[in-house]
Amino acid sequence: MSLLTASMPPLLPKVDAILVLDGEGNRLAGKYYGDFMKAASPTDANGSTDNATATQSAEQLRQSFERQLQSKIGGIAARPDAAEVVTVLGKTAVFCGGSAPGQGGGSVRVVHVGPAGESELVLAHLAEGMYDALSQLMGGSTDRNMILDNLELVFLLIDEHCDGGIILETDGHKLASSVLLRDEQEATRAEEQAQSKGGKGGIASGPFGGMGGDMTIAQALRQAREQILSNLNQN
Amino acid sequence: MENQQEEGGLTVNNLLSEVTSALDKFKLDDDAGQANYYSPYANLEKAAVLQEARCFHDPSAVRESPRKCCTVIAQLLHLTNTGQYLNSAEATEVFFGVTKLFMSDDASLRRMVYLFIKDVAETCNPDDVIIVTSSLTKDMTCDVDLYRANALRVLARIIDGAMLGAIERYVKQAVVDSSGQVSSAALVSATHLFEKNAESAAIVKRWISETTEATSSPNEMVQFHAMQLLYQIKKHDRLGMQKLVTQFSQRNTLKSPLALVLLVRYTAKLLHDEVAEGRVGSTSFQNGSTFARSGYAFLEASLRHKSEMVVYEAGKAICALPNIEPQELSPAVNVMQLFLSSPKPAVRFAAIKTVSQVAVNHPRIVSKCNEDLEALIADANRSIATLAITTLLKTGSENSVDRLLKQISVFLSEIPDEYKITIVKSLQRLCFTYPSKHRVLVGFLSNFLREEGGFDFKRSIVNAIISLIKAVPETTESSLLHLCEFIEDCEFTMLSTQILHLLGELGPGTQAPARYIRFIYNRVILENSAVRAAAVAALSKFAARCPSLRTSIVTLLKRSLDDEDDETRDRASVAVSVLKGAMEEFPYVPPPQDVEPESEPVPDEPQPGDPAAFVLLQGLPMSFDRLDRSIRSYMRAPAAMESAEQLTLSTLPVVEETAEPEPSAEDADVVGGDAVLQAAVAGQKEEKKEAVDPAAAVYAIPELASLGRVFRSSAPTELSEEETEYVVRCIKHVMPEHIILQFLIQNTVEDQRLTNCTVAIEGDSECFEVAGEIAADNIKYGETANAFTVINRNTDAPLAPCNFECVLRFGVIQVDPKTGEDESEPYDEEYPLEELEITTSDFMAKVSVPDFRKAWEEVGNSNEVLEKFALQFKKQEDAVAAVIDFLGMQPCDGTGHIKPGEGGKKPHMLHLSGVFVGGRNVLARAQVAAQGDAAGVLLKIAVRSDDAEVSRMVADCIR
Repeated sequence: MSLLTASMPPLLPKVDAILVLDGEGNRLAGKYYGDFMKAASPTDANGSTDNATATQSAEQLRQSFERQLQSKIGGIAARPDAAEVVTVLGKTAVFCGGSAPGQGGGSVRVVHVGPAGESELVLAHLAEGMYDALSQLMGGSTDRNMILDNLELVFLLIDEHCDGGIILETDGHKLASSVLLRDEQEATRAEEQAQSKGGKGGIASGPFGGMGGDMTIAQALRQAREQILSNLNQN
Repeated sequence: MENQQEEGGLTVNNLLSEVTSALDKFKLDDDAGQANYYSPYANLEKAAVLQEARCFHDPSAVRESPRKCCTVIAQLLHLTNTGQYLNSAEATEVFFGVTKLFMSDDASLRRMVYLFIKDVAETCNPDDVIIVTSSLTKDMTCDVDLYRANALRVLARIIDGAMLGAIERYVKQAVVDSSGQVSSAALVSATHLFEKNAESAAIVKRWISETTEATSSPNEMVQFHAMQLLYQIKKHDRLGMQKLVTQFSQRNTLKSPLALVLLVRYTAKLLHDEVAEGRVGSTSFQNGSTFARSGYAFLEASLRHKSEMVVYEAGKAICALPNIEPQELSPAVNVMQLFLSSPKPAVRFAAIKTVSQVAVNHPRIVSKCNEDLEALIADANRSIATLAITTLLKTGSENSVDRLLKQISVFLSEIPDEYKITIVKSLQRLCFTYPSKHRVLVGFLSNFLREEGGFDFKRSIVNAIISLIKAVPETTESSLLHLCEFIEDCEFTMLSTQILHLLGELGPGTQAPARYIRFIYNRVILENSAVRAAAVAALSKFAARCPSLRTSIVTLLKRSLDDEDDETRDRASVAVSVLKGAMEEFPYVPPPQDVEPESEPVPDEPQPGDPAAFVLLQGLPMSFDRLDRSIRSYMRAPAAMESAEQLTLSTLPVVEETAEPEPSAEDADVVGGDAVLQAAVAGQKEEKKEAVDPAAAVYAIPELASLGRVFRSSAPTELSEEETEYVVRCIKHVMPEHIILQFLIQNTVEDQRLTNCTVAIEGDSECFEVAGEIAADNIKYGETANAFTVINRNTDAPLAPCNFECVLRFGVIQVDPKTGEDESEPYDEEYPLEELEITTSDFMAKVSVPDFRKAWEEVGNSNEVLEKFALQFKKQEDAVAAVIDFLGMQPCDGTGHIKPGEGGKKPHMLHLSGVFVGGRNVLARAQVAAQGDAAGVLLKIAVRSDDAEVSRMVADCIR
């Protein structure tokens, strides 16, 4: 009975962490929310030294959490539309992406960590949404180097996706649009068109899905975008 | 390019095609440049990035190359992301630089600035952060949705209640903004603010109508965020919440699956509350209150929603409803069963997790999923497979066990240890359920002992086998042989010693003890010192218990007499010398060869008085911990060290149990697959506190110390109300022929000093007589002092409970509270106190016995007293607690509490032990049976001790 109540789903759903990990489990980008993996600091910000030690140990906590996470998810490749689940330290971790062993560890994993009572389906929905957005932003690829070159996009994506643990937006297309500073209306129009065409609405399944892994796309994309923006600003 | 973007619609695609066409041209250059290309985030140095960040202060740089500023900010963020945190000073400096970037109108730069402020807001001094408020407020009121949404979210992080009041108008507007982005941002920010502090929460509460309006937004995320905020605002208003939930579940306006998931959760929460507060009929939700009916109906209807998320949530909520009836549960289980074969791992995982929880209470309903569960054993996700197996082990019938084991054995070799342990635990439980399957299960477990595996895995198997031996004694022989085989090739010293000890305990009692000797002696030859010592000890136990084996074992033990390890050698020489002596005294007579085979075999047992059996088999009568405390308490009693009396275990002072032993971790593990919970339980072990001897106050006074040693001291009882002028508490120190009452008197009157305080007691009793008093001389304001009253006990008369009337007598001196100087002559005063009771249980020390059953049989029934009582208790639990309290004895074998879930159904057996004054051991067995609702509780009690009078007195404690 007590166990059942302990696993009651949270009434104010919040994720504990969102991580983008490479094949070896290194954190490329990520954010921890609330008190999860936060070192218990006795007093708040009483001088810089205290602060530094507190954050230091928080970082150690996080790294050890990520090591445990990696030991469970390493070697599992999850399809973009079917997230995999593991439990780590009593938390539910749901992730998309990754490569099976022997296929080269190029592809990153998007991991959402939530409390044990949180519905795995909800977490999977979030992970799939963010993974979709990520691959759209990276031009269809989720290669480690590609992500590293465009980290700022990843930071922005996490920020648009989740605010202080509360999920802001889950739709991959809308997420990608707001990261790229495209107008929302335009994005919805695009979406509508895509739907009316009978397409699946996924740009990720566009013709460039197979071109992943080439670093030049990222560079070119960035240059192109910069140019568009400066044009926009001039007008 | 810009034109194309507007025409195209599918912007990224167009952009990409543009890029790819350009790509071919660049390709050559790129390949050349590849070697020189560095990611802007590779090998970042904090100092270098901080240096770069200086450019924020340069207006022209900011204006002309916003791109560069973006990169620098991203680099800063990356630093914190990789653990190179900025300290407070650095963060503040960078922060001020970043605020300058508000000058630029570059959209992506502004976006990065927002991101940075949010990130840094946590590490920076809040007073510094506040300076950006005006820039943010400006952005919040501009007409670019993106700016507004982000500025709102940043603001929510940094402002306090007062400032929120100032900008309330804008936020409220934003909640109902036509842009979903802005509206969501406002709602989420409001949710954060609501949690932040009460002041902000009060303001957010005023936006209830705007929030309600937002729930009908066409944007799905806005619906979700609005529901979330509405709940936060209304969560303490039960009726309001019920109305809200009913409205939304009937109106069917919510389109967002996430919002519906929330609605399902709120419904479930309210249903739980309904049950907890007793508004649901005992039969089912459909017969409960209006809300219980509509709530359940909504959950059931949600099982047919088109989104899997909503369906699962509703199913899970129904499964978790308390006291749910099987027919109400089954639609939810049907849904879960469908999910079990979903192509998505997350769905399968969620479903199996729920199913396994349902299986704990309703294995029969779940058993219809057995086929799907069996299919899941081969699931690629090992967590799912493990959960499937543990669930099957709960739901499977007895005749499916063999098939199941076959499947598990294939599976078990390819999963990590952590999962294996979970499965071993489920197997153990299964064996308790179907004891007849023990042969198969023990054989199965032993097979895995021989396979590869880490320490924790092996230990869990060994522990499982040992607990099976205890629960199902028929498994003893086969299990012991399996364990013997295991130690032949065991790399873990701890497990080897544990098993050797177990062999020594159980082996001699089996049919053919001799067959274990070879295994044990092999350890003496082959193993490290710790295992050798354990093996020698086990061998000597065999010899002590089985005289027929003595000659051969002594021969074996002699070889260890020159072992290089001290411990092994010592154990061997003790055993050899004791055994030799015993063999001379009681030479072994082999049973005659010509006995008929069917006649009763002569038991191979040591004869009474055998020294070897005594030395090698009798354990210490108390735990080491108790011995330690006992000796300490002996030393504290004055003059004990000079006493000529011989110190033996029986003359040592009796030490009471300090606390209940922790419930074993085994109980906590109800549902398989939750290793974390167990870890949490194990981590809670408290440190033992050094107990202060309450008798020290008595020993400090020579007159009292001369009366002898204190047998036991009671916990303090209050003799006055708290917050009265004089607070008096009493500790009863029981000695063999006296009782010393220690009165702790506290003076709480500021302008008084008390002198010559005594407590006069008066009672009508044959066995107690007041013998003397020692007054507390002087008690200043706020101080506590001790007064003593000594009572002689007539040891010839039987103990009978007695009440004493108590009066505090003292002299009062008025004092100046400021200076503390006396202002008056003392005058006498009396102050009535509550009655003090001396009961039989005061003479009983709570002492546990290591093996209650054995001790019970040893005492025998010659002085047994049997009684029956009808007690006026509503609940069985209360009666059990009261019986323990009446007798003042220590509950043994964890019988002090009724196991959860068993309350009221079966009679509860309580085992109690204690030591009565004069060092007499007393044991009691009490059966507490509830007799239905109003009839009270029936108590049958049997008390045993070596003195019939003591047994009688103890039995009479029940009132």
